[in-house]
Amino acid sequence: MKEAKINAKGKTPREVNSKLKKMAEEYDRIIIKNPNAMHYLAAGLTGDVEVVIDGSAGYFAGTMIHGPRIEIRGNAGWFPADNMTRGKIKIHGSAGDGVGQGIYGGTVIVKEDAGSRTGEIMKNGTIIIGGNSGFMTGLYMMGGQIIVLGDLGKDAGESIIRGKIYVKGEVESLGKNAKIKGITDQEKEELEKILGENGFKLEKSEYKKFKKIIPRSRRPFYGKEVEEG
Amino acid sequence: MCGIAGIVYKDGKLHPAGRDMTKMLHALQHRGPDSAGFSIYGGLKLAKDEYLLNIEIKEKKGILNKVKDTIEAMTRIKSEEKIQSVENYIIYRCKISLDSFSQLKPLITEIDKIEDVTVLNGSHSFEMIKDVGSVLEIADRYDTWSKKGTHAIGHTRFSTESIVDRYHAHPFQSYIIPDITVVHNGQITNYWKIRDPLERKGHIFETTNDTECIVHYIADKLADGYKLEEALEQSVKDMDGPFSYIVGTPNGIGIAKDQLGLRPGVMAEDNEIFAIASEEMALGEVVDTRHIEQIAPGEVRVYEI
Repeated sequence: MKEAKINAKGKTPREVNSKLKKMAEEYDRIIIKNPNAMHYLAAGLTGDVEVVIDGSAGYFAGTMIHGPRIEIRGNAGWFPADNMTRGKIKIHGSAGDGVGQGIYGGTVIVKEDAGSRTGEIMKNGTIIIGGNSGFMTGLYMMGGQIIVLGDLGKDAGESIIRGKIYVKGEVESLGKNAKIKGITDQEKEELEKILGENGFKLEKSEYKKFKKIIPRSRRPFYGKEVEEG
Repeated sequence: MCGIAGIVYKDGKLHPAGRDMTKMLHALQHRGPDSAGFSIYGGLKLAKDEYLLNIEIKEKKGILNKVKDTIEAMTRIKSEEKIQSVENYIIYRCKISLDSFSQLKPLITEIDKIEDVTVLNGSHSFEMIKDVGSVLEIADRYDTWSKKGTHAIGHTRFSTESIVDRYHAHPFQSYIIPDITVVHNGQITNYWKIRDPLERKGHIFETTNDTECIVHYIADKLADGYKLEEALEQSVKDMDGPFSYIVGTPNGIGIAKDQLGLRPGVMAEDNEIFAIASEEMALGEVVDTRHIEQIAPGEVRVYEI
Protein backbone atom coordinates (compact mmCIF):
# COMPACT_ATOMS: atom_id res chain seq x y z
CA MET A 1 0.00 0.00 0.00
CA LYS A 2 1.39 3.38 -1.01
CA GLU A 3 0.72 6.04 1.61
CA ALA A 4 1.29 9.81 1.61
CA LYS A 5 0.62 12.77 3.91
CA ILE A 6 -0.61 16.30 3.32
CA ASN A 7 -0.07 18.96 5.95
CA ALA A 8 -3.12 21.26 5.70
CA LYS A 9 -1.71 23.87 8.07
CA GLY A 10 -1.47 27.24 6.36
CA LYS A 11 -3.06 25.94 3.16
CA THR A 12 -6.40 26.88 1.60
CA PRO A 13 -9.06 24.21 0.92
CA ARG A 14 -8.34 24.61 -2.80
CA GLU A 15 -4.63 23.95 -2.26
CA VAL A 16 -5.29 20.88 -0.11
CA ASN A 17 -7.87 19.47 -2.53
CA SER A 18 -5.70 20.06 -5.61
CA LYS A 19 -2.85 18.19 -3.94
CA LEU A 20 -5.20 15.45 -2.76
CA LYS A 21 -6.60 14.88 -6.26
CA LYS A 22 -3.12 14.65 -7.75
CA MET A 23 -1.91 12.26 -5.03
CA ALA A 24 -5.03 10.09 -5.33
CA GLU A 25 -3.85 9.04 -8.78
CA GLU A 26 -0.63 7.63 -7.35
CA TYR A 27 -1.27 6.66 -3.70
CA ASP A 28 -3.69 4.21 -2.03
CA ARG A 29 -3.97 6.05 1.27
CA ILE A 30 -3.58 9.75 1.97
CA ILE A 31 -3.54 11.25 5.46
CA ILE A 32 -4.47 14.91 5.86
CA LYS A 33 -2.73 16.29 8.94
CA ASN A 34 -3.79 19.46 10.81
CA PRO A 35 -7.19 19.83 9.09
CA ASN A 36 -8.38 22.28 11.78
CA ALA A 37 -12.06 21.90 10.79
CA MET A 38 -11.31 23.11 7.25
CA HIS A 39 -14.28 23.28 4.84
CA TYR A 40 -14.74 21.31 1.57
CA LEU A 41 -12.05 18.70 2.29
CA ALA A 42 -11.94 16.00 -0.41
CA ALA A 43 -14.69 17.73 -2.41
CA GLY A 44 -15.39 15.98 -5.68
CA LEU A 45 -12.76 13.29 -5.14
CA THR A 46 -13.21 10.16 -7.24
CA GLY A 47 -11.58 6.74 -7.49
CA ASP A 48 -10.63 3.91 -5.20
CA VAL A 49 -8.57 5.76 -2.60
CA GLU A 50 -8.58 5.93 1.18
CA VAL A 51 -8.40 9.38 2.83
CA VAL A 52 -7.81 9.90 6.53
CA ILE A 53 -8.62 13.35 7.89
CA ASP A 54 -6.59 13.39 11.09
CA GLY A 55 -8.83 15.70 13.14
CA SER A 56 -12.08 17.57 12.56
CA ALA A 57 -13.46 18.60 9.17
CA GLY A 58 -15.57 21.68 8.48
CA TYR A 59 -18.57 22.05 6.16
CA PHE A 60 -19.18 19.83 3.10
CA ALA A 61 -16.51 17.23 3.92
CA GLY A 62 -16.45 14.74 1.04
CA THR A 63 -19.14 16.55 -0.95
CA MET A 64 -19.88 14.93 -4.32
CA ILE A 65 -17.36 12.11 -3.93
CA HIS A 66 -17.61 9.03 -6.13
CA GLY A 67 -15.71 6.07 -4.73
CA PRO A 68 -13.30 7.14 -1.96
CA ARG A 69 -13.37 5.85 1.61
CA ILE A 70 -12.93 8.79 3.97
CA GLU A 71 -12.28 8.52 7.69
CA ILE A 72 -12.65 11.69 9.79
CA ARG A 73 -10.86 11.27 13.13
CA GLY A 74 -12.77 14.10 14.78
CA ASN A 75 -16.04 15.92 14.22
CA ALA A 76 -17.59 17.18 10.99
CA GLY A 77 -19.47 20.42 10.35
CA TRP A 78 -22.58 20.89 8.21
CA PHE A 79 -23.38 18.67 5.19
CA PRO A 80 -20.72 15.92 5.31
CA ALA A 81 -21.04 13.61 2.25
CA ASP A 82 -23.43 16.05 0.55
CA ASN A 83 -24.59 14.57 -2.80
CA MET A 84 -22.16 11.64 -2.62
CA THR A 85 -22.81 9.06 -5.35
CA ARG A 86 -20.52 6.22 -4.19
CA GLY A 87 -18.03 5.65 -1.37
CA LYS A 88 -17.95 5.72 2.42
CA ILE A 89 -17.45 8.47 4.99
CA LYS A 90 -16.90 7.54 8.62
CA ILE A 91 -16.94 10.31 11.24
CA HIS A 92 -15.55 9.28 14.62
CA GLY A 93 -17.03 12.22 16.56
CA SER A 94 -20.23 14.20 16.09
CA ALA A 95 -21.55 15.99 13.01
CA GLY A 96 -23.52 19.13 12.26
CA ASP A 97 -26.69 19.60 10.23
CA GLY A 98 -27.49 17.90 6.93
CA VAL A 99 -25.42 14.72 7.25
CA GLY A 100 -25.65 12.90 3.88
CA GLN A 101 -27.80 15.61 2.31
CA GLY A 102 -29.02 14.47 -1.11
CA ILE A 103 -26.81 11.39 -1.39
CA TYR A 104 -27.41 9.10 -4.36
CA GLY A 105 -25.43 6.18 -2.93
CA GLY A 106 -22.67 5.12 -0.57
CA THR A 107 -22.56 5.00 3.22
CA VAL A 108 -22.14 7.74 5.84
CA ILE A 109 -21.41 6.83 9.45
CA VAL A 110 -21.43 9.20 12.41
CA LYS A 111 -20.30 7.48 15.60
CA GLU A 112 -21.78 10.13 17.95
CA ASP A 113 -24.67 12.64 17.57
CA ALA A 114 -25.77 14.40 14.39
CA GLY A 115 -27.49 17.79 14.07
CA SER A 116 -30.71 18.64 12.23
CA ARG A 117 -32.05 17.42 8.88
CA THR A 118 -29.90 14.27 8.63
CA GLY A 119 -30.46 12.66 5.22
CA GLU A 120 -32.57 15.49 3.81
CA ILE A 121 -33.54 14.88 0.17
CA MET A 122 -31.40 11.74 0.03
CA LYS A 123 -32.21 9.52 -2.94
CA ASN A 124 -30.39 6.31 -2.01
CA GLY A 125 -27.53 5.02 0.11
CA THR A 126 -27.22 4.48 3.86
CA ILE A 127 -26.67 6.82 6.78
CA ILE A 128 -25.88 5.42 10.24
CA ILE A 129 -25.94 7.65 13.32
CA GLY A 130 -24.47 6.09 16.47
CA GLY A 131 -26.06 8.66 18.80
CA ASN A 132 -29.05 10.97 18.43
CA SER A 133 -30.19 12.70 15.27
CA GLY A 134 -31.90 16.11 15.49
CA PHE A 135 -34.84 18.05 14.07
CA MET A 136 -36.45 16.89 10.80
CA THR A 137 -34.28 13.83 10.22
CA GLY A 138 -35.10 12.45 6.76
CA LEU A 139 -36.66 15.72 5.53
CA TYR A 140 -38.16 15.13 2.07
CA MET A 141 -36.27 11.82 1.89
CA MET A 142 -36.73 10.13 -1.49
CA GLY A 143 -34.97 6.79 -0.98
CA GLY A 144 -32.29 4.86 0.89
CA GLN A 145 -32.14 4.25 4.61
CA ILE A 146 -31.20 6.08 7.77
CA ILE A 147 -30.34 4.06 10.89
CA VAL A 148 -30.28 5.89 14.22
CA LEU A 149 -29.14 4.10 17.36
CA GLY A 150 -30.15 6.93 19.68
CA ASP A 151 -33.22 9.19 19.67
CA LEU A 152 -34.82 11.25 16.93
CA GLY A 153 -35.74 14.93 17.39
CA LYS A 154 -38.94 16.72 16.42
CA ASP A 155 -40.71 16.18 13.08
CA ALA A 156 -38.85 13.01 12.13
CA GLY A 157 -39.47 12.00 8.51
CA GLU A 158 -40.99 15.38 7.60
CA SER A 159 -42.53 15.05 4.10
CA ILE A 160 -40.80 11.72 3.52
CA ILE A 161 -41.66 10.33 0.05
CA ARG A 162 -39.69 7.08 -0.13
CA GLY A 163 -37.05 5.27 1.96
CA LYS A 164 -36.92 4.16 5.61
CA ILE A 165 -35.68 5.61 8.88
CA TYR A 166 -34.82 2.92 11.45
CA VAL A 167 -34.60 4.15 15.02
CA LYS A 168 -33.73 2.30 18.21
CA GLY A 169 -34.51 5.08 20.69
CA GLU A 170 -37.35 7.54 21.20
CA VAL A 171 -39.02 9.64 18.53
CA GLU A 172 -39.90 13.12 19.82
CA SER A 173 -42.53 13.67 17.12
CA LEU A 174 -43.31 12.70 13.54
CA GLY A 175 -43.35 15.08 10.58
CA LYS A 176 -46.06 15.31 7.92
CA ASN A 177 -46.55 12.14 5.84
CA ALA A 178 -44.53 10.02 8.27
CA LYS A 179 -45.76 6.98 10.20
CA ILE A 180 -44.11 4.45 12.54
CA LYS A 181 -44.23 0.68 12.08
CA GLY A 182 -42.51 -2.27 13.67
CA ILE A 183 -39.76 -4.01 11.72
CA THR A 184 -39.79 -7.50 10.25
CA ASP A 185 -37.41 -10.34 11.15
CA GLN A 186 -35.76 -9.90 7.77
CA GLU A 187 -35.18 -6.22 8.49
CA LYS A 188 -33.66 -7.15 11.88
CA GLU A 189 -31.23 -9.43 10.12
CA GLU A 190 -30.37 -6.77 7.57
CA LEU A 191 -29.78 -4.22 10.33
CA GLU A 192 -27.55 -6.64 12.23
CA LYS A 193 -25.52 -7.25 9.08
CA ILE A 194 -25.05 -3.63 8.07
CA LEU A 195 -24.39 -2.39 11.61
CA GLY A 196 -21.92 -5.21 12.22
CA GLU A 197 -20.10 -4.44 8.97
CA ASN A 198 -19.73 -0.84 10.08
CA GLY A 199 -18.40 -1.41 13.57
CA PHE A 200 -21.58 -1.30 15.69
CA LYS A 201 -21.96 -4.44 17.81
CA LEU A 202 -25.35 -4.70 19.52
CA GLU A 203 -26.80 -7.45 21.66
CA LYS A 204 -29.38 -9.58 19.80
CA SER A 205 -32.09 -8.32 22.14
CA GLU A 206 -31.33 -4.70 21.18
CA TYR A 207 -32.66 -5.27 17.67
CA LYS A 208 -36.14 -5.75 19.10
CA LYS A 209 -36.16 -2.07 20.01
CA PHE A 210 -35.91 -0.86 16.42
CA LYS A 211 -38.91 0.59 14.64
CA LYS A 212 -39.11 2.24 11.26
CA ILE A 213 -40.51 5.47 9.94
CA ILE A 214 -41.94 5.25 6.46
CA PRO A 215 -44.19 7.43 4.26
CA ARG A 216 -47.95 7.39 4.74
CA SER A 217 -48.40 8.14 1.06
CA ARG A 218 -46.09 8.06 -1.95
CA ARG A 219 -47.92 11.11 -3.37
CA PRO A 220 -48.77 13.30 -0.39
CA PHE A 221 -48.91 16.64 -2.18
CA TYR A 222 -50.40 16.27 -5.66
CA GLY A 223 -53.38 13.92 -5.31
CA LYS A 224 -53.82 10.19 -5.66
CA GLU A 225 -53.72 10.04 -9.47
CA VAL A 226 -50.29 8.93 -10.69
CA GLU A 227 -49.20 10.93 -13.71
CA GLU A 228 -47.62 8.96 -16.52
CA GLY A 229 -44.79 10.30 -18.57
CA MET B 1 -23.28 34.90 6.39
CA CYS B 2 -21.49 36.27 9.45
CA GLY B 3 -19.35 34.71 12.13
CA ILE B 4 -20.19 34.95 15.83
CA ALA B 5 -18.24 33.84 18.88
CA GLY B 6 -18.36 34.03 22.64
CA ILE B 7 -16.11 32.95 25.50
CA VAL B 8 -16.48 32.86 29.28
CA TYR B 9 -13.68 32.09 31.74
CA LYS B 10 -15.47 30.12 34.41
CA ASP B 11 -13.41 31.36 37.38
CA GLY B 12 -14.62 34.94 36.80
CA LYS B 13 -11.05 36.25 36.85
CA LEU B 14 -9.26 38.30 34.21
CA HIS B 15 -7.82 36.32 31.31
CA PRO B 16 -6.44 37.22 27.86
CA ALA B 17 -9.96 37.56 26.43
CA GLY B 18 -8.84 39.93 23.69
CA ARG B 19 -6.20 37.53 22.45
CA ASP B 20 -8.54 34.54 22.56
CA MET B 21 -11.42 36.36 20.87
CA THR B 22 -9.05 37.67 18.18
CA LYS B 23 -7.98 34.09 17.43
CA MET B 24 -11.59 32.89 17.37
CA LEU B 25 -12.66 35.67 15.02
CA HIS B 26 -9.64 35.20 12.77
CA ALA B 27 -10.71 31.56 12.39
CA LEU B 28 -14.16 32.86 11.32
CA GLN B 29 -12.80 35.49 8.93
CA HIS B 30 -14.12 33.57 5.88
CA ARG B 31 -17.68 34.12 7.18
CA GLY B 32 -17.46 37.91 6.96
CA PRO B 33 -14.85 40.20 5.40
CA ASP B 34 -16.59 43.58 5.84
CA SER B 35 -15.93 44.44 9.46
CA ALA B 36 -15.28 42.87 12.84
CA GLY B 37 -15.95 43.71 16.44
CA PHE B 38 -15.48 42.77 20.06
CA SER B 39 -17.18 43.35 23.42
CA ILE B 40 -14.63 42.49 26.09
CA TYR B 41 -16.20 42.50 29.54
CA GLY B 42 -14.62 42.95 32.93
CA GLY B 43 -11.26 44.47 32.05
CA LEU B 44 -11.98 48.21 32.17
CA LYS B 45 -12.15 48.47 35.95
CA LEU B 46 -13.83 51.88 35.89
CA ALA B 47 -15.07 53.60 39.05
CA LYS B 48 -18.80 53.27 39.73
CA ASP B 49 -19.71 56.55 38.00
CA GLU B 50 -17.21 56.30 35.12
CA TYR B 51 -17.90 55.56 31.45
CA LEU B 52 -15.78 55.09 28.34
CA LEU B 53 -16.94 56.88 25.18
CA ASN B 54 -15.85 55.49 21.83
CA ILE B 55 -16.34 58.09 19.09
CA GLU B 56 -15.67 58.03 15.34
CA ILE B 57 -14.48 61.44 14.08
CA LYS B 58 -13.61 62.51 10.55
CA GLU B 59 -10.17 64.13 10.36
CA LYS B 60 -11.24 67.71 9.70
CA LYS B 61 -10.02 70.82 11.47
CA GLY B 62 -12.04 71.77 14.52
CA ILE B 63 -14.29 68.72 14.80
CA LEU B 64 -12.45 67.09 17.69
CA ASN B 65 -12.62 70.32 19.67
CA LYS B 66 -16.39 70.51 19.05
CA VAL B 67 -16.73 66.99 20.42
CA LYS B 68 -14.67 67.83 23.51
CA ASP B 69 -16.67 71.04 24.08
CA THR B 70 -19.94 69.09 23.88
CA ILE B 71 -18.73 66.53 26.40
CA GLU B 72 -17.29 69.14 28.74
CA ALA B 73 -20.56 71.04 28.73
CA MET B 74 -21.86 68.08 30.73
CA THR B 75 -18.80 66.58 32.44
CA ARG B 76 -15.03 66.71 32.68
CA ILE B 77 -12.90 64.54 30.37
CA LYS B 78 -10.72 62.53 32.77
CA SER B 79 -8.48 60.84 30.20
CA GLU B 80 -8.37 60.51 26.44
CA GLU B 81 -6.81 58.52 23.59
CA LYS B 82 -6.80 58.85 19.81
CA ILE B 83 -6.57 55.81 17.55
CA GLN B 84 -5.91 56.21 13.84
CA SER B 85 -8.44 54.30 11.74
CA VAL B 86 -8.88 54.17 7.96
CA GLU B 87 -10.59 56.46 5.44
CA ASN B 88 -9.50 59.67 7.25
CA TYR B 89 -11.19 58.80 10.51
CA ILE B 90 -9.84 58.71 14.02
CA ILE B 91 -11.40 56.94 16.98
CA TYR B 92 -11.47 59.25 19.97
CA ARG B 93 -11.85 57.48 23.30
CA CYS B 94 -12.32 59.30 26.55
CA LYS B 95 -13.16 58.51 30.14
CA ILE B 96 -15.85 60.59 31.84
CA SER B 97 -17.96 60.57 35.00
CA LEU B 98 -21.74 60.87 35.08
CA ASP B 99 -24.12 61.24 37.98
CA SER B 100 -26.26 58.45 36.61
CA PHE B 101 -26.47 55.98 33.70
CA SER B 102 -29.57 57.83 32.45
CA GLN B 103 -27.33 60.73 31.38
CA LEU B 104 -25.30 58.58 29.00
CA LYS B 105 -27.72 58.27 26.07
CA PRO B 106 -28.65 62.00 26.05
CA LEU B 107 -24.93 62.86 25.97
CA ILE B 108 -24.38 60.43 23.07
CA THR B 109 -27.33 62.00 21.22
CA GLU B 110 -25.81 65.48 21.68
CA ILE B 111 -22.42 64.36 20.36
CA ASP B 112 -24.06 62.59 17.40
CA LYS B 113 -25.53 65.94 16.28
CA ILE B 114 -22.03 67.12 15.26
CA GLU B 115 -21.45 66.59 11.55
CA ASP B 116 -18.98 63.80 10.65
CA VAL B 117 -19.11 62.41 14.19
CA THR B 118 -20.70 59.14 15.35
CA VAL B 119 -20.55 57.75 18.85
CA LEU B 120 -19.82 54.05 18.41
CA ASN B 121 -20.69 53.30 22.02
CA GLY B 122 -20.50 54.30 25.65
CA SER B 123 -19.86 51.65 28.27
CA HIS B 124 -19.06 51.04 31.90
CA SER B 125 -18.13 47.39 32.33
CA PHE B 126 -16.91 46.40 28.88
CA GLU B 127 -14.74 47.67 26.06
CA MET B 128 -16.20 47.74 22.57
CA ILE B 129 -13.84 47.60 19.63
CA LYS B 130 -15.31 47.53 16.14
CA ASP B 131 -14.12 48.74 12.78
CA VAL B 132 -14.10 48.00 9.07
CA GLY B 133 -11.46 45.65 7.71
CA SER B 134 -10.11 42.24 8.58
CA VAL B 135 -9.88 40.82 12.09
CA LEU B 136 -6.09 40.98 12.16
CA GLU B 137 -6.00 44.57 10.87
CA ILE B 138 -8.44 45.63 13.57
CA ALA B 139 -6.62 43.58 16.19
CA ASP B 140 -3.36 45.37 15.42
CA ARG B 141 -5.05 48.80 15.14
CA TYR B 142 -6.60 48.52 18.61
CA ASP B 143 -4.16 46.05 20.17
CA THR B 144 -6.91 43.59 21.05
CA TRP B 145 -4.12 41.09 21.75
CA SER B 146 -3.36 42.72 25.10
CA LYS B 147 -6.95 43.20 26.36
CA LYS B 148 -7.95 41.30 29.46
CA GLY B 149 -11.48 40.27 30.42
CA THR B 150 -13.72 37.80 32.21
CA HIS B 151 -15.79 37.10 29.07
CA ALA B 152 -16.20 38.39 25.54
CA ILE B 153 -18.29 38.20 22.39
CA GLY B 154 -17.22 38.94 18.82
CA HIS B 155 -18.29 39.10 15.20
CA THR B 156 -17.09 39.01 11.62
CA ARG B 157 -19.57 40.70 9.30
CA PHE B 158 -20.85 39.84 5.84
CA SER B 159 -23.33 42.61 5.21
CA THR B 160 -26.63 41.68 3.56
CA GLU B 161 -28.80 44.81 3.47
CA SER B 162 -27.33 47.42 5.82
CA ILE B 163 -24.36 49.56 4.84
CA VAL B 164 -20.78 48.69 5.72
CA ASP B 165 -19.34 51.18 8.20
CA ARG B 166 -18.01 51.27 11.75
CA TYR B 167 -21.36 51.90 13.41
CA HIS B 168 -23.04 49.00 11.58
CA ALA B 169 -20.23 46.64 12.55
CA HIS B 170 -21.29 44.39 15.42
CA PRO B 171 -21.59 44.32 18.41
CA PHE B 172 -24.63 46.56 18.76
CA GLN B 173 -25.40 48.06 22.14
CA SER B 174 -28.62 49.09 23.87
CA TYR B 175 -28.86 51.86 26.46
CA ILE B 176 -32.15 50.65 27.95
CA ILE B 177 -30.03 49.10 30.71
CA PRO B 178 -26.22 49.27 31.03
CA ASP B 179 -23.78 47.27 28.96
CA ILE B 180 -25.92 44.89 26.89
CA THR B 181 -24.43 43.97 23.51
CA VAL B 182 -25.33 41.58 20.69
CA VAL B 183 -23.55 39.92 17.77
CA HIS B 184 -25.77 38.28 15.18
CA ASN B 185 -25.68 35.96 12.19
CA GLY B 186 -28.88 36.01 10.15
CA GLN B 187 -32.01 38.01 9.46
CA ILE B 188 -35.05 38.90 11.57
CA THR B 189 -37.82 38.81 8.98
CA ASN B 190 -40.57 40.18 11.26
CA TYR B 191 -38.33 43.14 12.12
CA TRP B 192 -41.07 45.81 12.17
CA LYS B 193 -43.34 43.63 14.30
CA ILE B 194 -40.56 43.43 16.91
CA ARG B 195 -39.50 47.07 16.57
CA ASP B 196 -42.92 48.79 16.73
CA PRO B 197 -43.82 47.91 20.34
CA LEU B 198 -40.30 48.78 21.49
CA GLU B 199 -40.54 52.22 19.88
CA ARG B 200 -43.97 52.75 21.39
CA LYS B 201 -42.31 52.16 24.78
CA GLY B 202 -39.92 55.01 23.95
CA HIS B 203 -36.82 53.07 22.96
CA ILE B 204 -34.73 54.90 20.35
CA PHE B 205 -33.60 53.19 17.15
CA GLU B 206 -30.61 54.71 15.35
CA THR B 207 -30.67 52.37 12.33
CA THR B 208 -32.92 49.98 10.42
CA ASN B 209 -30.52 47.14 11.18
CA ASP B 210 -32.14 44.03 12.66
CA THR B 211 -29.29 43.46 15.12
CA GLU B 212 -30.09 46.78 16.79
CA CYS B 213 -33.65 45.48 17.09
CA ILE B 214 -32.43 42.31 18.86
CA VAL B 215 -30.28 44.17 21.37
CA HIS B 216 -33.13 46.55 22.30
CA TYR B 217 -35.55 43.60 22.54
CA ILE B 218 -33.26 41.71 24.94
CA ALA B 219 -32.39 44.80 27.00
CA ASP B 220 -36.11 45.63 27.27
CA LYS B 221 -36.88 42.12 28.52
CA LEU B 222 -34.02 42.26 31.05
CA ALA B 223 -35.30 45.67 32.22
CA ASP B 224 -38.72 44.06 32.70
CA GLY B 225 -37.20 41.49 35.05
CA TYR B 226 -36.60 38.54 32.73
CA LYS B 227 -33.50 36.45 33.38
CA LEU B 228 -31.16 36.27 30.37
CA GLU B 229 -32.22 32.69 29.62
CA GLU B 230 -35.91 33.65 29.78
CA ALA B 231 -35.36 36.65 27.50
CA LEU B 232 -33.59 34.49 24.95
CA GLU B 233 -36.30 31.81 25.08
CA GLN B 234 -38.99 34.42 24.53
CA SER B 235 -37.05 35.90 21.59
CA VAL B 236 -36.99 32.52 19.86
CA LYS B 237 -40.80 32.45 20.06
CA ASP B 238 -41.26 36.08 19.00
CA MET B 239 -38.71 36.43 16.20
CA ASP B 240 -39.02 34.96 12.72
CA GLY B 241 -36.28 34.28 10.21
CA PRO B 242 -32.95 32.51 10.18
CA PHE B 243 -30.76 33.64 13.07
CA SER B 244 -28.30 32.76 15.72
CA TYR B 245 -27.07 35.51 17.99
CA ILE B 246 -24.99 35.92 21.13
CA VAL B 247 -25.78 38.39 23.89
CA GLY B 248 -23.14 39.79 26.21
CA THR B 249 -24.04 41.18 29.63
CA PRO B 250 -21.86 42.22 32.58
CA ASN B 251 -22.53 38.74 34.04
CA GLY B 252 -22.04 36.41 31.10
CA ILE B 253 -23.13 35.42 27.62
CA GLY B 254 -26.01 33.56 25.97
CA ILE B 255 -26.86 32.23 22.53
CA ALA B 256 -30.25 31.80 20.84
CA LYS B 257 -30.98 29.99 17.59
CA ASP B 258 -34.07 30.16 15.38
CA GLN B 259 -36.67 27.41 15.54
CA LEU B 260 -35.71 25.89 12.20
CA GLY B 261 -32.00 25.95 12.99
CA LEU B 262 -31.10 27.78 9.81
CA ARG B 263 -27.93 29.41 11.16
CA PRO B 264 -25.11 27.49 12.80
CA GLY B 265 -23.95 27.38 16.40
CA VAL B 266 -21.65 24.99 18.25
CA MET B 267 -20.35 24.95 21.79
CA ALA B 268 -17.62 23.27 23.78
CA GLU B 269 -16.43 23.61 27.34
CA ASP B 270 -13.91 22.33 29.83
CA ASN B 271 -13.24 23.11 33.48
CA GLU B 272 -11.92 26.58 32.65
CA ILE B 273 -13.77 27.79 29.55
CA PHE B 274 -17.27 27.88 28.05
CA ALA B 275 -17.13 28.78 24.35
CA ILE B 276 -19.67 29.15 21.55
CA ALA B 277 -19.17 29.98 17.89
CA SER B 278 -20.53 29.63 14.39
CA GLU B 279 -18.02 26.91 13.56
CA GLU B 280 -15.79 24.40 15.30
CA MET B 281 -12.61 25.91 13.90
CA ALA B 282 -13.13 28.95 16.17
CA LEU B 283 -13.72 26.78 19.23
CA GLY B 284 -10.52 24.88 18.44
CA GLU B 285 -8.53 28.05 19.11
CA VAL B 286 -9.50 28.14 22.80
CA VAL B 287 -10.81 24.78 24.00
CA ASP B 288 -10.47 21.05 23.39
CA THR B 289 -12.93 20.20 20.61
CA ARG B 290 -12.91 16.43 20.78
CA HIS B 291 -16.44 16.76 22.14
CA ILE B 292 -18.53 19.58 20.74
CA GLU B 293 -22.30 20.11 20.85
CA GLN B 294 -24.53 21.50 18.13
CA ILE B 295 -26.92 24.19 19.33
CA ALA B 296 -30.30 22.70 18.35
CA PRO B 297 -33.06 24.57 16.50
CA GLY B 298 -34.85 26.89 18.93
CA GLU B 299 -32.35 26.19 21.68
CA VAL B 300 -30.76 28.75 23.98
CA ARG B 301 -27.63 28.37 26.11
CA VAL B 302 -26.45 30.75 28.79
CA TYR B 303 -23.31 30.87 30.91
CA GLU B 304 -23.15 33.43 33.68
CA ILE B 305 -20.37 34.00 36.22
